[in-house]
Amino acid sequence: MSYLIDEGKNVQHLLMGNEAIVRGALEAGINVAAGYPGTPSSEIIESFSQVAKERNLYVEWSTNEKVAVEVAAAASFAGLRSMCVMKQNGVNVASDFLLHLASSGTRGGMLLVSCDDPGALSSVNEGESRLFAQLLEIPLLEPGDFQEAKDIIKWAYELSEEIRNIVMIRSVTRMSHASGNVTYGPLPSDTAARAKFNYHGPLLDPENGPVISMILAAPELQHGPQQEKMKKAAAIFETCPFNTYTGPEAPELLIITSSACSLYSREAVKILGLGKRVGILKLATTWPLPPVFLKKHLAATERILIVEEVAPTLEDHVKVLAAESVQEIGPKLFYGKKSGHLPSVGELNPDLVLAVLSRLCAVPYEAAAGVFATEAKALMEKLAPPRGMIFCPGCPHRASYWSIHNALQLDGRGGFVCGDIGCYVMGILPAGFSTVKTLHAMGSGSGIASGFGKLRQFGMDQPIVSVCGDSTFFHAAMPALANAIHHRSPFTMVILDNRGTAMTGFQPHPGSPINVLGETVPALDIEKICRAMGAKVEASDPFDLEKTREKLGHLLEYAEGAKVLILKQACALSPEKRGRKKYEVTVDETLCRGEDCGCNRLCTRIFGCPGLAWDGEKKVSHIDDIICAGCGVCVDICPAGAILKKEVA
Amino acid sequence: MKQFVPGDLDAAVIQEGLCIGCGACIHLCPYFQSYRGKTARLFPCTLKEGRCFAYCPKVEVDLDGISRFLFGKRYDSAPLGTYRSIHVSRAGEKVKKSSFQAGGTVSALMYFALREKLIRGAILTGRKELLPTPQLVEKPAAVFRHGLSKYTAAPTLAALNEAIEKGCDNLGIVVTPCQATAVAQMRMNPMGNPSFEDPTALVIGLFCTWALDFRRFEAFLAQEVPLKEIVRIDIPPPPASVLEVYLQDEKLVFPLDKIRPLVPDTCGYCPDMTAEFADLSVGVLEGRGDMNTIIIRTERGERIAREAERQGYIILEEMPQENREHLEWAAANKKRRGLLRSREAGKLNGEEGKTYMRLSAEVIDEILINGKEDAPCHT
Ligand SMILES: Cc1cc2nc3c(=O)[nH]c(=O)nc-3n(C[C@H](O)[C@H](O)[C@H](O)COP(=O)(O)OP(=O)(O)OC[C@H]3O[C@@H](n4cnc5c(N)ncnc54)[C@H](O)[C@@H]3O)c2cc1C
Ligand code: SF4
Ligand code: SF4
Ligand code: SF4
Ligand code: SF4
Repeated sequence: MSYLIDEGKNVQHLLMGNEAIVRGALEAGINVAAGYPGTPSSEIIESFSQVAKERNLYVEWSTNEKVAVEVAAAASFAGLRSMCVMKQNGVNVASDFLLHLASSGTRGGMLLVSCDDPGALSSVNEGESRLFAQLLEIPLLEPGDFQEAKDIIKWAYELSEEIRNIVMIRSVTRMSHASGNVTYGPLPSDTAARAKFNYHGPLLDPENGPVISMILAAPELQHGPQQEKMKKAAAIFETCPFNTYTGPEAPELLIITSSACSLYSREAVKILGLGKRVGILKLATTWPLPPVFLKKHLAATERILIVEEVAPTLEDHVKVLAAESVQEIGPKLFYGKKSGHLPSVGELNPDLVLAVLSRLCAVPYEAAAGVFATEAKALMEKLAPPRGMIFCPGCPHRASYWSIHNALQLDGRGGFVCGDIGCYVMGILPAGFSTVKTLHAMGSGSGIASGFGKLRQFGMDQPIVSVCGDSTFFHAAMPALANAIHHRSPFTMVILDNRGTAMTGFQPHPGSPINVLGETVPALDIEKICRAMGAKVEASDPFDLEKTREKLGHLLEYAEGAKVLILKQACALSPEKRGRKKYEVTVDETLCRGEDCGCNRLCTRIFGCPGLAWDGEKKVSHIDDIICAGCGVCVDICPAGAILKKEVA
Repeated sequence: MKQFVPGDLDAAVIQEGLCIGCGACIHLCPYFQSYRGKTARLFPCTLKEGRCFAYCPKVEVDLDGISRFLFGKRYDSAPLGTYRSIHVSRAGEKVKKSSFQAGGTVSALMYFALREKLIRGAILTGRKELLPTPQLVEKPAAVFRHGLSKYTAAPTLAALNEAIEKGCDNLGIVVTPCQATAVAQMRMNPMGNPSFEDPTALVIGLFCTWALDFRRFEAFLAQEVPLKEIVRIDIPPPPASVLEVYLQDEKLVFPLDKIRPLVPDTCGYCPDMTAEFADLSVGVLEGRGDMNTIIIRTERGERIAREAERQGYIILEEMPQENREHLEWAAANKKRRGLLRSREAGKLNGEEGKTYMRLSAEVIDEILINGKEDAPCHT
């Protein structure tokens, strides 16, 4: 039995923030969870799936984030408690439906969990999802530690049901992926929920009517009540148990903070011994702000430091409130991102907060940790060779990009690749031979390529290629392909089918034969879909470099309309491949041309699989047996036939 | 001798639009490859001295150095280059009737050399549809399957490098003048590496005023005829001034004015019409599309040609004075035009590692005086 459903009374478990959210939802009696994989959010759906059977849950990896919200919304409409989960970029995808949902309202409690990635540790950007709460006019909660990450969920479900609207929970990487002790509450004993969608009531009956988001030309009928919900939420937030204050009654400096930043603030105040001078107001209800509660604390101080990551969202909201209440609370001095005291890009950490606190409170602080950090860095540099970002040994993307790069070079018309989201974003780097020249959102590579294709009219004759993973294909690239086919845009979409959502940990997608619950499900065939849509389709094994390059070369020359090349080869880390070598690979030192004219280290200088290493003394390449995944691809790039492979029995 | 400077072939030749796609830099290493008539560099190489640069006939060509190596004398302004004798020729009675471009001299000589084991293999250029397909030919009879001129530039030397890589030597090869320059540079072994020694035993050069860009020519003809059905392409000797495309039972005729735009720019820089650095050079005899002109240049060329004649593989006749003079006139003109064009572009004694040719000022002057535009024009 999973520790996530341990029913021991008051037991404690060390939980990741994401697991704490899951436990909280289980204690709240959640029924349906849907999401799309994306770091740092993916463990939530995965954890739900582990206990789905025992807790009678329906869990799915949806095709994209918008569909995930729609699936969860259906559960809410039918009276169940549901959750939709995504990373910050996913909220952008889901935002269209979310705007409608916020207006139609919900029935069973429904939470939107967004895991943001300040510093873009594993994202294309450090987009900010908190602003969506304001835009969508829905309440936003941010847990400040691991216990709270669990406890706040149940409270949020009650709030959602009270105001009949979706509630947004925002976590960040350091909250989702760090761990802390969490004391469990009871799990509901009855897991037999019954779903029924009632629609017989009048149009605007929130309990029994149809659920719709548009009342033509009568915004007051829906937008008005939605704003009332926000007022109600603000009133409830006045007494929210997760908004806490620690510090003196009239602090010299008041820190207002939330989420992981409240941990950094606490640490900084403690290290500097400022507990008697500085107060920390940790907010869980960051939108709408509870005005009475906040004004009380603002009135008690002159100077306020706002500690938050990414955009100055909290800072702006607090300042507006302070401006509106200036007669009541008097003028204030604000410090934060806008004053330049804290950086407005990247993650915060205790050091950054320490530095600004020591400055604002005139407490000298010598960072002892700095010495350790420099020493650690120096040691690391000595122990580990400098290395750029590269694909794993045996990665099919390296082979795919090799062929794409070479086909475009041979074609010689200045062709390029429009990139997309997945491990293969590294196509912009030497790891992918720098073939990718545009990179934006999920599915955008093919959309942009569709646009480039139509520029023939203006004399653009560069061949255009887009790349797209199998999961991305279903997520957002299909509409782009449909567009290109319909408008006869001549480009070649290369689908890098590595059998799963590899970058985030092999979550299944509509092309997978097994779903997150381990059930056998219909696997959609990408090749058949593309063909049925009307594209000229070819398929190849990317490990067959010559054939792949040839096929792509032909497609590049074939000028008519959209073409698709599907490159099928499972990810090197996929469960089916991991730890299994297909070939025993060796280098024959007597044949290796090394640095001589005739090779000049193609394998280690350009191809760059970490399984190949350069012996600077002997001036030959060799295979690092421990790292080599045995894919055998490098055998075909060596001009001297010096790399040999033998099938592993 | 070739001047090496840090800098690469891609920048000096390909990016400058000077590459003719001869194939000399291909199959030496993984970096240069030929695709549909064009040479591409796949990845940058960091070596300061490499064979690609050394062999390329479009960069740092030391005309005097090559002449001294091949003929033991300086490169002078003679329009036809250095030679021993010049003749009219055609295939002899030992050679069965076959598809030849003109008199069949080239095929006959290669056939003879293979039969007599004077060469181990011949590097010839066949075609697949319009795409020239260079190949190592080892069986004498197979020579005849590669007859006929492919008027597009071809990566013939890629097949030579490939054969060398497989360990072949004593090879025969049929090349255009730029390719003959590349082969001469290979034979000089500029890198001084014993494993890169002279791999050839017979180099037959073809006369050439220009070659066509494969991709442009293909696009042009594809609009006019089904490429699969082309049997033969001909540019009959002047004063015709046309390109003829033969189908099974039809002939299309295009005026050369329509074809010239398909000639790559680089041919305009080239000073060599008669493959001056080959052992034997062969062209079409003016006014006689079924006969050849042959220029015997080297000792080893002479030996093979005379023996082929003695055994009845080729027929050599005297060259009428008038024909020779006209050939000289045409060759001198190409030389003059090539040098002028190169000089204009800064490619004659130009920037180190980027210039096309090197030649003494004195010889340049002689050439510019020799070439006169005022006689009737070949092609
Ligand atoms: C691009 C080109 C331009 C030419 N221009 C002229 C000209 O201006 N004036 C002139 O007198 N003659 C020119 N020729 C030469 C002429 O067309 C004949 O090739 C030559 O006279 C030999 O005739 P043959 O009957 O002996 O040839 P064949 O016996 O038919 O043999 C022809 C040989 O040429 C080789 N070959 C064919 N195409 C190519 C190519 N693209 N590159 C390298 N080798 C090739 C084949 O391997 C074959 O062995 C040109 C040839 C080419 C390929
Ligand atoms: S590609 Fe082959 S010849 Fe070149 S360094 Fe690697 S093993 Fe040696
Ligand atoms: S076989 Fe070659 S390319 Fe494949 S993992 Fe091993 S070293 Fe890398
Ligand atoms: S060697 Fe020939 S193919 Fe290579 S760059 Fe020079 S001209 Fe082009
Ligand atoms: S220097 Fe040698 S290895 Fe490098 S590109 Fe030229 S031929 Fe290839």
